[in-house]
Parts: sequence; structure tokens; C-alpha cells
Amino acid sequence: MKGARAVVELLRQQNVDIMFGIPGGVLLSFYNELEQSDIRHILPRHEQCAGHMADGYARVSKKPGVCIATSGPGATNLVTGVATAFMDSSPVIALTGQVATGVLGNDAFQEADAFSLMMPVTKHNFRITDPKLLPETIRKAFLIATTGRYGPVHVDIPVDMFTSDISDEEMAKEVKIPKPKKNLSGLLDAIKLLEKAERPTIMVGGGVAWSRAGPEIMRLAELLMAPVVTTLMAKGSVPENHPLVLGVCGMHGRQVANYALNNCDVLLAIGTRFSDRVTGKLSEFGTKTKVVHVDIDSSEIGKNVKGRVGLVGDAWTVVNALIAGLQRRTKSATWRDRMMELNRECSCDYDLRSDPIKPQKVIFELSKNLPDDAIVTTEVGQNQMWAAHFYKCYGKRMFITSGGLGTMGFGFPAALGAKLARPESVVADIAGDGSLQMVSHEFATAVENDIPVIVCLLNNGWLGMVKQWQKLFYESRYIATKFGGTPDFVKLAEAYGADAIKVERHSEVAEAIKRGVKSDVPILLDFVIDPEEDVLPMTPPGKTSADCIRGRCQWKGEVV
Amino acid sequence: MMLLVYDQPGVMQRVMGEFNRKRINVETIVVGKCEMPERARIVLAIEDREKALGVLEHLRALHEVIEADLVDHSRHEAYALIQSKEGLCRVTGSVEEVDSIVTKSKPEKYVQTMNAI
Repeated sequence: MKGARAVVELLRQQNVDIMFGIPGGVLLSFYNELEQSDIRHILPRHEQCAGHMADGYARVSKKPGVCIATSGPGATNLVTGVATAFMDSSPVIALTGQVATGVLGNDAFQEADAFSLMMPVTKHNFRITDPKLLPETIRKAFLIATTGRYGPVHVDIPVDMFTSDISDEEMAKEVKIPKPKKNLSGLLDAIKLLEKAERPTIMVGGGVAWSRAGPEIMRLAELLMAPVVTTLMAKGSVPENHPLVLGVCGMHGRQVANYALNNCDVLLAIGTRFSDRVTGKLSEFGTKTKVVHVDIDSSEIGKNVKGRVGLVGDAWTVVNALIAGLQRRTKSATWRDRMMELNRECSCDYDLRSDPIKPQKVIFELSKNLPDDAIVTTEVGQNQMWAAHFYKCYGKRMFITSGGLGTMGFGFPAALGAKLARPESVVADIAGDGSLQMVSHEFATAVENDIPVIVCLLNNGWLGMVKQWQKLFYESRYIATKFGGTPDFVKLAEAYGADAIKVERHSEVAEAIKRGVKSDVPILLDFVIDPEEDVLPMTPPGKTSADCIRGRCQWKGEVV
Repeated sequence: MMLLVYDQPGVMQRVMGEFNRKRINVETIVVGKCEMPERARIVLAIEDREKALGVLEHLRALHEVIEADLVDHSRHEAYALIQSKEGLCRVTGSVEEVDSIVTKSKPEKYVQTMNAI
């Protein structure tokens, strides 16, 4: 069979039933075969969004999301989507077409060195220059993406590979890749440290979300009498209505979560890479704490924070091993009770009833009115941090956001991918007007393919997060952050055939969200919010909790 | 540092990319075919041991890298290729010896490899 047919068959063998992409000259033979297959193809309006859709699909389904772009500009546009997946360890398979092997390197029409471009932003990537290797390469790509720490894999396929003959023998060739190393030799040391701890705290990261170890984490927390703090990536992996779950920590995190991080004596960190947005000033982080660091990726152990004990393995396995090894104990009951008390006190009232609408009010109503299995995605900036801080994620709710790369314009296409992965759930994108303007064309994709998601636009007319930093750290000298002319978002959405409501009063917020939940078409809720509202509390970059800017935050607990 | 890798295009770019990201200037690179078919061995010299340790796990995570280990240089071997008016000349010996010969002979052009052979 021809290479193009082979690729389609290989995708089917990997249980791919949906893919996202934009065709082009070098992909024509592939698309011709795709047309004759039962793989559903979604046509975004920009390749970056194909990447984000595949990413959103992967994060919800926990299986690889597939995207494809043509050579040259198609591939360069896809880079942002792939880099986003890379930073958040999402198993995306990115295929790009390439000019024919005979002219590779000669600056042929629409040639870009996609293989080199993708190299630093993928877990691994391939350029197929021998058709014999095509089947095994595609198989390897899927294996690598989903083995050990998940991550995107890119395959660059020159156009002549699609038209070459592939033998049955080559098609049948099985592949193997080395198993990821485990290292649990420190398990006993970890258990000893945890059993002696008077103020143990568990910090969970994206790894826990990927390995779905939330229920086991909670068993461990109850056994250890330890509060649980999450990173941005782990939000939703443990139930935020549980009294031991303190919520998201870090720069804009809940004060009680940061308090626990700063005051524990033993920190059990699972599936997190200690991002600077979590630790603040690295040299000050964990100086008084003994860190047990669990990660599936051995290169993360000791990269940012030097722990006492490092355990290499996936969150689910290690947590179960810890549970099996630990004795029931009561040493830290005082700490647990105090943290639960502080957690209650930290749960402030943010049902702010004033006009112009406060963003916290919108998040409050979303928490209250979205179903228990809703998926929330966010863009990047103030909208994301308000959502992370105030939205309550529990039960089957999911929270999907671009944490590592911080890609504005991620949330909307990711929401579309998420909805396709779990059509029975309500999917809402919490957006800002800056981010949405980067990807607003995807309303066309949503309408065309009948993907009913809710876009909750927190519209303040500014690139709000940058503005906030200009206000706080550059004496309010605003430049390039105010949008001189923003579109009428309601008209914009309607022009694409979506529903839209403009909401300008706090009393109308709940009603609008209820209408969004019931909608069976894509719907935009344009909340015109107070442009003066900042995301607070905030620990300034490179600083510690002692320098936290509080704003409305009523935190009464001590600082250090 | 010694690496065993698959002998195929793009491997050097990927390996060196890790050093680039971690801002490590590699002193010497020796790479070539080795005792195993379709494999190549890369020997690199890096001045800072701490930095070398910091990049090691990242190298091991690469799918084209089969093995990566630090090798302590018990014998400080160095090699230089010198071009002077008299013609080409090869020098081998300890780092100090080779260094002093190169400095003394003030060659027009030379390349000096340290600790990697």
C-alpha cells in the first residue's frame, strides 16, 4: 500500500477516531486517504489551534491527541501548540508534511526545517526519509508519547513518503522502546521521614492529574494527617471541597496553601517540577523543610529543589507504595486540625455584589452553577489566576490550563478538544479579551462542527495581567496594554453563527451562566468587568510570602 | 562524559541542544563509529563537573541516547593538530605537555582537544 494509506491505517490501529488539522500541498495524498477512512477530521482556522485542540482532547481523554499541519508555515504555526503540550507533559502526536526528500534543504516552496524547529519543544521527534521506516516510526511516536512522562511527539513526513510503497511486512513490524526507569530505593527513607514528621504537607502537581492518583493521594493525606496543596496543573486532581485540600499554591495561590508550604517540616512533593511560579525565590524555598520528591522523570529530581529523598516512579504506584508502608499515626493531629481551621478561615466570601461586575463574582457563580462534571479551561493571564484561585473543582470537574508555557489563546481551542473528548460534559472556557482575540476565529470551527462550549469572557478591555504588573512594579506607566478599540464581542460571535449575551450587571451573572449551561450551540457570555480589579493576593516574582500583596484578601494567619 | 548513541542524522543536534539549553560550553567533542554496528560513541569534555551532572539525566532521557555516563579522566590525554610553515604536525600527550608545545611553537593554525581521547 502507499504511504498515505499506511499512515491512516496506523492511526486507526492506535484507536485514533478524531484528528485536528489543516491540509496543504504536501498533505493532499494523505487527506485523500483520510477522506475514505472513518477518522473524524476537525478543521480549525489556524494550525496553532489544531495543536491546542489535540492537547485539550488528550488532557481530558488521557490518550494521545493527533494534529496535522502542512510544511513550512503550517509547521511553524503548529510549534506553539506543540510547545504548550510539551511544557504541560501532554501526549500530542503532531504530524507535519514536508517537501520531497529530493529537494530537502534546497529552500523549496513552503520548506521550513520543522524537524529542527520542533526538536527542543517535543519529547522526541522524527523525520522520515526512508519509507520502510514509516510504520515503525508512527508506532514509536505513539509509544513514546504515552510511556513514562507523557509528552508530545512530532513526525515530519516528506511528501514522497506518502506516495512510496509500503510492504505488508513493514506494516506488521512491532516496535519496542525501553521501559522508563523506576527507582524506589529511597522508599524506606521517605517513610521514616514522613512518620517522624510533625507538620507533613503533600504538594501535588500535574503528574497526579495525568496518573489519576487523586483518590490515593487523599487516602495518603488522611493517613498522614497532612494537608494537600496543589500546583496550577494539579487543580482538579484532588477534590477542593475536602477539608484537607488547601487549593492552589504559588504566586496567586491561596494563602493557606502557601502557609502550609512555608511551615511544614516534611514536604511530600508528587509529580511537580517546582516551577518558579510556585516556589517564588528558589533560594528561600524549602530551607526549613525536608523534601521528599516523587516524579516519573528522573531528570526532575533535584533540578530546581534539592530534596532529601528522591523517588522515581509514577504518582499512582509510589503513593500506593507509601500507603502500604506507612503505619497509622496521630503525631500530626494538631497540625492537621490547625490547617483545617485555617483552610475554613481562608475561604473568604467573594460573592461580590457591585457594578461594574467583579471577576470574582463571575467565578463564584460558575462554581455554583456549573454541573459537577463540568470541564473548565482557561486562557492565560488574570482570567486564569482568578479561575485558579476562586473556582472550586471537585467531583468529576476538570480544570485545564496552559501552566508551563502560559499560552494566551489556549483555552478556547482546548475547550473544543475537551468537548469532543467528553461530549456529555458542559465545557466552559474562562477567557480574557486579550486571549480571546488571539483565537476568536475558532467560533467558526465550533459552529461548523457543532461543538457547544461556553466562552465566559471576562472583558476588561486590557491585557490585564501585564497592566497589573505595570501598575505594581512600573509606577502605572501603561504602554501597549490598553486595547484602543475592542470589537463588539457579541456581534463577533453572532457573525460566526454562535449565540452571545452581554452581561453588565452583577445581578445578571447567574442567569447568563444558567443559560450557557443549557445552550446546545456555542455561546459567548461577554461579562463586562471592572478594569481596576487586580488579581490579588500576589507574591511578587522572586519574592517570598512575607512580601505578599494582599488586596481584598483577609488572611489572618501568620506570614512565616 | 561518554555517550553511546544511535548513529543517525540529527543526533548531534539533539545532544548538543541539551548543552546549549543549560549554557554549557563543551571543551572538546570526539565522535565516531564504535564497536557496535549502527551505534556511535560521543566523548565530551566539560570543565565544570557540577554542570555536567546537571545535564546527565536530561541526556539519558533522550531517545537516541542509549547510555550516558561521566568518565573520570585518570589520564589527562590531549591531542593537537598544528599547522606551521614546516607543515602539519600531530602532538599527543598530557594536557600540560600538549598545551606547552602548542604555546611554544606558535603555530599559524591549530586545534587542540582535551580530556576527550
